[in-house]
Order: sequence, then structure tokens, then C-alpha cells
Amino acid sequence: MSLITYREALSAALWEEMERDERVFLVGEDIGLGGGAFYITKGFQQHFGRDRVVDAPLSEAGFTGAAIGAALAGMRPVVEYQFADFVTEAFKMIVDFAAGNHYRRMGPVPIVLRLPSAALVSGGPYHSVNPESWFFGTPGLKIVAPATAYDAKGMLKQAIRDDNPVIFMEYKKFYNYRPADLPPQLQIDVPEGDYTVPFGQARTLREGEDLTLLTFGTSVLEALEAAQVLEREGVSAEVIDLRTLVPMDKEAILRSVKKTGKLLILHEARKRGGVGGEIAALIAEEVFEHLDAPIRRVGAPDCPVPLSPPLEKAYLPGTAQVVGALRELAAF
Amino acid sequence: MRAKIQNAASEPVRSEELAGLDFFRDLADRYLSIEGLEARWVPIQREDLRPGKPDALRLHHLLSLTRAVEETLDSAFRSGHVPGTAFFSRGNEAAGVGSASCLREEEWLVPMHRNCGAHLAKGHPPVSIMAHFFGRAGGPSEGRDGNFHMGYRPKKITQLISHIGTMVPIAAGIAWAAKLQRNGQAVLTYIGDGGTSSGDFHEAMNFAAVRKFPLAVVIDNNQYAYKTPLSDQYACPALALRASGYGVPGFLIDGTDVLLVREVVSRALERARRGGGPTLIESVTMRLGGHSVYDRFTDYVDMEKFKLWQEKRDPIKRFDQYLIEYEVLTPEEIAASHARARREAEEARDTALKLPFPDPAKVAEGVFAE
Repeated sequence: MSLITYREALSAALWEEMERDERVFLVGEDIGLGGGAFYITKGFQQHFGRDRVVDAPLSEAGFTGAAIGAALAGMRPVVEYQFADFVTEAFKMIVDFAAGNHYRRMGPVPIVLRLPSAALVSGGPYHSVNPESWFFGTPGLKIVAPATAYDAKGMLKQAIRDDNPVIFMEYKKFYNYRPADLPPQLQIDVPEGDYTVPFGQARTLREGEDLTLLTFGTSVLEALEAAQVLEREGVSAEVIDLRTLVPMDKEAILRSVKKTGKLLILHEARKRGGVGGEIAALIAEEVFEHLDAPIRRVGAPDCPVPLSPPLEKAYLPGTAQVVGALRELAAF
Repeated sequence: MRAKIQNAASEPVRSEELAGLDFFRDLADRYLSIEGLEARWVPIQREDLRPGKPDALRLHHLLSLTRAVEETLDSAFRSGHVPGTAFFSRGNEAAGVGSASCLREEEWLVPMHRNCGAHLAKGHPPVSIMAHFFGRAGGPSEGRDGNFHMGYRPKKITQLISHIGTMVPIAAGIAWAAKLQRNGQAVLTYIGDGGTSSGDFHEAMNFAAVRKFPLAVVIDNNQYAYKTPLSDQYACPALALRASGYGVPGFLIDGTDVLLVREVVSRALERARRGGGPTLIESVTMRLGGHSVYDRFTDYVDMEKFKLWQEKRDPIKRFDQYLIEYEVLTPEEIAASHARARREAEEARDTALKLPFPDPAKVAEGVFAE
């Protein structure tokens, strides 16, 4: 087993795709000589040159728009935002131009937007965002959320080869994790060489009979921990990692809910306006008769991400909160 | 021809002189060239710009066709055939035609909403433009969008979005691709005087200048950003002066002179193709109409100035007069060109109006590329 870190998996995907396809190039702040804020592209510029690993001026709208233009003209740009939070600067370029170009019959925009997402310790309100709901309501964007090194590599390769704009959320908290540091369900080896992970396929991390715990991104850790606690209490929870938000694996969600009759949706992002609300509505519309309990959601409270450690801890949905919600659901 | 114009450059212009710039008076027979920190007036020798007859016929046709297409669309709008609204380029025809006619077939055009002439010069067929305005299935967006929010991929014309300024980064990116692909191509785009206030414009100019992307940016300064006068839009004497800040060459020209526009833009594109990086060209015209068909512009436009530009700087009248004065075309040839343009526009309208509307069942189709 090679068991590389999540960060190494991302780097490997970029490196291999750049070797495979000369149309692939990288742009972002400080990614060249400096290797990026999180060192994902460390050593890339020395190997691929200044034209393919581009230190952008501090101008997200400018370089995102330019990358979109390059994509229209036959290139395969991968844009790195220093923190997912800063993508707001480029929002109109993505949601107004890139997302709609194909629908307006002017061709696809094959671009990957890498968003280092979610909380890291005391990142505060502007370095901790989970950006998925900003984009979730925009047609024309694919949104992926790899939780493992295996997914990080395979999905980044898939994203680069996709003809559509892809919001690629990657999780800062996971960068240094090796599969060996994770619960057994997440110890998925990263094979040598080329492979891709198709979009729209959820992964069942653990089979269960009594209830379904649906999650993605950083929350997979809390989900697995909580499921283990419940197991000791005699409750069998099925844990599903969505992996891709658009396209969404509707079949996997419906199948599991039909089997267990109870659903908890967990995400680190705020509950209000979150992806969980859409999934809850989907269940209510399509398999309501299979439900044995009201759908529950666990997400962050309705406030920005605070910095001070006790506040941040209170903000982030922790295992205890998930366990509590699961117990209530099991007892319903 | 070019050497002659460049050699005629005068002493650097003092800033006091530029402070009282009057576009009508000061650009009548010269243009401003900005290199580094210096701006110089360059006299225009009109004889030097004289086109050959085939060239003149083509340019004249494009100019006349631009006006005919827009007038036909205007009347179609009033007859209820145009859903939404319509923006026209009256007064700006020479800037669009003169600039885009410098592009090679394989090069990209990134137009704005007031560049009908650029579309036509790059080869966008009038029937496709009409079908787009009429929301028909045969238009380039198949009814997904309308007005001048269109591109035309077969001729390498991108579409645009309403967010003013956003297209300059896109154009810079297409130029970026050209540089990476080493294909020797240049890209041409436009922004209005209002759009230069947006951050996107600045970000794109800066990035393109840093990386020497092969790009020419034409500022279509038509003296009104919707209803806002220039004095409320920017504080420098001329937008072209901003070129110094980006480290690129700049030009301030009268955009109603199709031959001058063509000369200056072709020079910028040549420079770009040779690896010299971007150029910023401010082309001054007067918007001879409202912002859109709904706009009661007489409420806020200085009508005295408006009439002056309409009489003396109508780009089509100007070109007609030039061609006669310099004996390039006869009045009969010019009249025939106008009649042909009118006929083509009306035929395009009739054909477009017979095209079907898009199938409502397909409303949600084609969001993603498969």
C-alpha cells in the first residue's frame, strides 16, 4: 500500500495530468516558486515552467476570467484559490459566465476551480468557509467533495478531463492525513498510476439497517465516529459519503432511505440554505411513504465561522451533536 | 504609410493641455499616442489612409450593413418581434467595423453589446443576428438569450454577459491561450467608457500586461455610460492615459473615422502577434441614440453636442464623403452599396422571422456538456 496523504494525492493528480495533457496549466496566487499557500504545487514551476504554473496577480476575477477565456480557446486550466473564501471575488465569472456558456449554446468551459475549503484551526470567518451552497443553486457547475486521498486524486483527474466547469472542494483539514490516520473505512489505498473516480457515485462507508447517515466532506469523520458509538448502543447506522454534490447520486440516497426508513443529513456548512435542505426535500417528495421518522439535519448554526477556539468548537458540528441526533432518530 | 505617420509625431503633450481636452475639436485631425510616460499628438494625413477600391467597397458595405441591420431590428422591435430589449451602435459603426476587420479569420473577437459592426466584420451573418434578437431556434443561442448577448462560434466570436467589465478578463484569457499555443494569433475586445470603472477591466489589463498576452482592448468611449456623463465616471483627462499605468502603449483616437480606427488597431494587433503584448485604444464616438430602445435619452443628453456629432461625425456620412473626395468610389457606387445593405438586412429579417421558436420541452436541456 502506498497510503499517501491527501495533499500528495492532489499534487500527484495535477502532476500526472500536466504530463499527460499539455493543454493543462495551473494558475493561482503564489503557486509558482512558492508552491502555493498549502504547497500543493511545490516544485511544479521548476519542472513545468513559468508558462504552465502561473503566479497570478492578486486579482481573482481577472485570473479566473482569463482562465475561463483560455478554456474557451482550447486549454484545460486549473485555478487555485488560496482559500475557498476568496472565490467570492470571482463569483460572477464562474456563475454568470462559465456556468451558463454551454446552455447558451456557446460551448463548454472545461475548467477546474480548486477551493481549499472548510475550517482549519482558528481560521476565522474568512478562511473557513464551506462554499458548496454558494454554487449549489447554479445550473452548469459540477461540485465535488472528496473526503479521501483516493477520491482526491481520482476526482481531480476526472475534473480536469471533464468538459464542464468543476467546483473542486478540497479540505485543508485533510491535507496532512494519511489513510492510516483515519478510521478503517477511510483507509483506501491510492493506487500507483492513472485512475479516475467518476462523478455522481456515492460511497457506502458502512452498511446499516436502522438509519441512514448521509454526509460528505470533512463531516465523514464525525459521521463514522458517531456510527461507532451508536453501534455499541445496538443501533446500526448506514453511513454514506456523497462524494459528488452535482451530479448527486439520487439512487444511492433513495435506496438507503427505503431500506432504513430514517435519515440524518450531516454537513459542516450552515444548516440554513445548505445542501441538506435540498436532500430532505428530495426524500419528502419521492419516498415519503418509506419514512419512519422526521428527517433530521445537523449542520452549523446560523452565524459566520468564529475564530476563538471555544466559539469555533461550538460552531462546528461535532461527534457528540451527531450522536445526540442519531439517538433521537433511533428512538423515534 | 505607417512610418510616415509615426515620424510626424510632435513634442510631448503637457498635462495642462490635456486637462481641457475637447474630443470633437482636439481629435479632428490628429490622435494621441502614449508610450511610457509620454503622450504625443500625431497628425493624420488622410491621403495616407486611402484604401484600394476592393477594400473600400468591403468597408463601406460593412458600415452600411451595420446601420441597416440595426435600423431593421429597431423597426422589428417596434413591431413586437424582439423580446426583451435592444442596444444599438449608431455612431459607433466605424469603430466596430474598422477594428474587427483587422482580425484574421482564425482569430477571436470578444465583442460588447454595442459592436454590431464588429460582428458583421468578423463574418456573423445578419440572419443569425436577427434570429437571435427574435428569440428563434436558429439563432446562435437557440433562444437562450437575446439582444447583443450573443457570440458566433463558427467565426470565433464569443458571447457576453450583462456584467460590464467581465469580458475583458475572458478576452485576456483567450489571448493567454494563444500565447500558450504559440499560434501567433491576437485577440480583440471592447469595453465602454463606463466599463473601465470596473475592477475586472483593471485586473485583466494588469494581468495581460504582466504576461504580455496578445490583446488589443478598444475602449468604445461613446460619452455616456447609460445615463451617467463622463465627468461622473472618471477623473483623468482621457482613459487612454491609463495605458501608462499598465505599462502598455495607448492611443486616443476619433472612432468615427473608419480608416483611422483600422490603422491604429491593425498596428496594435500586429504588435500583439509579434509578442509585444497588449495595447489600449480609446476610440471616441457619440452614442447617437439611447442606451437601449427604452431609454428617453433626450432627458439627459446635451442635445447641442449630440447634434454637432450627428452632423459632423456620423461615421457613415464621413466615409461616404471621404470616398467621394478622394475619388475612391463614385456617388453611384456608394448609393448602390447602401441599397444592397438595406436589401440584405431586410431579407435577413424576413428569413429569420420564418424560423421556428425553440421547443419548450427542451427548456432544461444542454446545461452540461456530455
